[in-house]
Amino acid sequence: MKKLTLGLAAAFTLALAGGAMAQAYPARPVTMIVPFAAGGPTDIIARIVGDHMSKTLGQQIVIENVAGAGGTTGITRAMTAAPDGYTIAMGHLGTFSAAPATYPGLKYDPLNGMQTIGLAGGTPILIVAKKNFPAKDLKEFVAAVKAAPDKFNEAHAGVGSVSWTTCTLFKGVLGVPKLNAVAYRGTGPALNDLVSGQIDFMCDQIVSVSEQIKADTIKAYAVASAERSPALPNVPTTKEAGLPDYQIEAWNGIAGPKGMPKEAVDKLVDALNKALNDEPTKKRLLDLGAVIPSAEERTPAGFQALIKRDADKLTPVLASAPK
Amino acid sequence: MDVFANLALGFATVWKIVWWAPGFLQGAVSLPIPINILLCFVGCLVGTLIGVLPGVGPIATIAMLLPITFGLDPVGALIMLAGIYYGAQYGGSTTAILVNIPGEATSVVTTLDGHQMAKQGRAGVALGVAALGSFFAGSVATIVIAALGAPLTKLALLFGPAEYFSLMVMGLCFAVVLARGSILKAFCMIMLGLLLSTVGTDLETGQERMTFGFPPLADGIDFAVLAMGVFGFAEVLRNLENPETRDVVKTKIGKLLPSLSEIKQCINPVLRGTGVGAILGILPGNGAVLGPFASYTIEKKIAADPSRFGKGAIEGVAGPESANNAGAQTAFIPLLTLGIPPNAVMALMVGAMTIHGIIPGPQVMTKNPDLFWGMIASMWIGNLMLLVINLPLVGLWVKLLQVPYRLMFPAILIFCCIGIYSVNNQPVDVAFTAMFGLFGYILIKLGFEPAPMLLGFVLGRLMEEKLRQALIISRGSFMTFLERPISAGLLLVAVIVLVIALLPAMSKKRDEVFTE
Amino acid sequence: MSLNKIEQARGLRVRSPQDLAAGIFMILLAALALFLARDLPLGTLRQIGPGMLPKSFAVICAGLGVMLALTSLVYKGEQLQGFSWRGVIFVLGGAVLFGLTIRGFDIGPLKVPQLGLVVSGPIVVLVAGSAATDLRWKELIIFAIVMTTFCALLFKYALGLPIPLAPWLLGI
Repeated sequence: MKKLTLGLAAAFTLALAGGAMAQAYPARPVTMIVPFAAGGPTDIIARIVGDHMSKTLGQQIVIENVAGAGGTTGITRAMTAAPDGYTIAMGHLGTFSAAPATYPGLKYDPLNGMQTIGLAGGTPILIVAKKNFPAKDLKEFVAAVKAAPDKFNEAHAGVGSVSWTTCTLFKGVLGVPKLNAVAYRGTGPALNDLVSGQIDFMCDQIVSVSEQIKADTIKAYAVASAERSPALPNVPTTKEAGLPDYQIEAWNGIAGPKGMPKEAVDKLVDALNKALNDEPTKKRLLDLGAVIPSAEERTPAGFQALIKRDADKLTPVLASAPK
Repeated sequence: MDVFANLALGFATVWKIVWWAPGFLQGAVSLPIPINILLCFVGCLVGTLIGVLPGVGPIATIAMLLPITFGLDPVGALIMLAGIYYGAQYGGSTTAILVNIPGEATSVVTTLDGHQMAKQGRAGVALGVAALGSFFAGSVATIVIAALGAPLTKLALLFGPAEYFSLMVMGLCFAVVLARGSILKAFCMIMLGLLLSTVGTDLETGQERMTFGFPPLADGIDFAVLAMGVFGFAEVLRNLENPETRDVVKTKIGKLLPSLSEIKQCINPVLRGTGVGAILGILPGNGAVLGPFASYTIEKKIAADPSRFGKGAIEGVAGPESANNAGAQTAFIPLLTLGIPPNAVMALMVGAMTIHGIIPGPQVMTKNPDLFWGMIASMWIGNLMLLVINLPLVGLWVKLLQVPYRLMFPAILIFCCIGIYSVNNQPVDVAFTAMFGLFGYILIKLGFEPAPMLLGFVLGRLMEEKLRQALIISRGSFMTFLERPISAGLLLVAVIVLVIALLPAMSKKRDEVFTE
Repeated sequence: MSLNKIEQARGLRVRSPQDLAAGIFMILLAALALFLARDLPLGTLRQIGPGMLPKSFAVICAGLGVMLALTSLVYKGEQLQGFSWRGVIFVLGGAVLFGLTIRGFDIGPLKVPQLGLVVSGPIVVLVAGSAATDLRWKELIIFAIVMTTFCALLFKYALGLPIPLAPWLLGI
């Protein structure tokens, strides 16, 4: 027994000696905080991109799921961590652009208090309705909703979620803020009731709804992106369908606390770019229906600009949204 | 028949052989490797391990293993992840029986009689019956999925918010029957559980409720935190002050496996548990949670001597454990046929499928038949493996009970602490668990049973959500619960259960007065 | 009915101290919940507000508490048992110390660095273990080291959970 203990103690001491030596960044695994439960769209993108980034960095990127309060718990932890480049976070539209308007007591400032790295992937948003909804295109749908806002039920996955944020913007664009909004705990149960016809419509990310659309269990009116998605080539864009004001994407991007060493930022940007240029990684993301970011959006400045653009778009609508 | 052709495809997929020529032999020999069987075995083994460890749930583990499966083909990866999931269900009952800690809501019921059996030196019997019952239930559920998966899908779609609300009300009435002592105290615990479930951010408005303005409470109380506190920690405190109750475990070991007569005693409970669990498992939104509770209620109600329950009745382990495993298995139906995940673990399976380029939806069955039927076939093989893994382990687990308690409880504690930390990677959760440990200790001192509280807690959140959804959809009319036939039927069952539970209790109270 | 009258004739006294305490406990919890939920709107039936269910549950809890307290005057029940503070302090204290040290903590003037499992593990085993009446220190110390090593290997390496080992020393 004693011998075993001594041996283990010796092993520990050796491990200590190896780890304590100072090296160039990254000298140890980098923690990437995902502020949502494992298996969700953000988590999957973080794991796909992080897997390839680890190869470039030569150190493992460890995904740590810290869920809570619409993702703001995890981002708060990342942004209050030491700015040494070893703690970064994968946030999304909600945590970086919408959170300041949704959560008044937010402990981080996405516009001035973060070191952005770059965009990892965009996810188109679709307006979907139950299979037997009478309207045959977006124009008819908008007209029907505007004519009798009290008649329809809209589903979302809880205050702060992507579907809530994007649907609130949709209602803002339509000018019918007081629709019957039914809150669900997550997209899955909401989708279940949309398929069974209890709910009339919802807005959600393409990865959650594309297969249901293909199987004809629900119908899609439009995709709120600039271009059609290759995953659903028959679904028109909002611009084509006559609602050009409704443009929103549920992107996911990487940021860390302000004050990170330049070396760390450069290496992370480089690793992200290499991951997004890698064909197998790209294919994985495209399979999800994600959009590969442009060269501009993959830079810290480009990503920061995107955060600001969407924050400007969402803040007025969310601030006045009935809660 | 189609089913047989499909199952043949499934078993062929599971038995896929990969020829492996070891490099060091320079291609002289190539070995047949049944890769999917191997992955299934690894999954079951890992699942059993994490199921046994308190706190560490299948969600954290499957998430961690996702990147490892990148290199595998999707069928193999999903077979392994599914193995982890139902392996964890098996392992969870081990912890519930041995140390009275329910790792998941579905094993709460197992603690009632399972741990009592362990205290009487019948841990081996309890574990054996749980394993055999689970195997039987898993096998039946696999056949149910294969034969009826597609038609049963409609059941999931028949359940809207109104039906769920009524189902939850029915579930709460079951909780009354769980009570070992005073019915009034059981009601108190259910209500307390419901009250605790409302802590946290309101889903519909985003307002914080009863959080003391404390951010870690914004998402409410985690089930693991509450369960580990009121069961795990409180149990340690109770044992520390009653050395005689824990010594029972130490002195008598008893036999390791159930005898023939004991198995006979369990046949009917296992059959009933399997049926109830399989049906409730199909319902999305944690319907599977109700399975073990419903099974326990049935067994206690039809038993010749209900007073044995809560004191180590073997039917109270066999029935709920079968229901638990059957439900775990049939929970795959909405995922595989509708593409809609019914619970958090299934949501993770969706993630795993998407990572491998298969986006789950209604078309998986036709587009990826090898995946669909391969997974179903692997479930049965996985259940067989779990039996093979678990039966020999029974001896080891029972031996663990011989560890002196002065070392056992620090070990339980360090496992619990790490486990709770790993649920959300939040240190403050550990402190919360300690607080609930004190809370649970107070409850014990006041003569309350924590099991109904946990059921109330689990069902409460869903009940409020569904009530509000149903009333928004019906524009505020309570008649919606009576107008919809399924909902009305469920409420009727609830009333009947309640009446059956209350009548004997009232007459008993009168007897007590009489004897004083 | 007549039986209850016989009870009353004997006068009201606490026949079950445990039930009385349990009833008061329920009432206190309900009062706390009502206080915390005081600002939450009830809403309407059509659009139930965030306060409707918490307040309703709290009121029912209080009602059940009152019933429990009243029955304690009528039916005979158990005595109230004392607390064993030794277990509460050491066992729960050990767990709290684990939570405070594993990632570090920052409450006002109190700053705890991020110590990791290498320190937090032995702390929880040693502090909690000292609650045992048949404590043997030497055995417990060895056990603490063995358990911590085992847990580090199991959770960090075999299961790959992102738990800090000793960031101040190993960087992980």
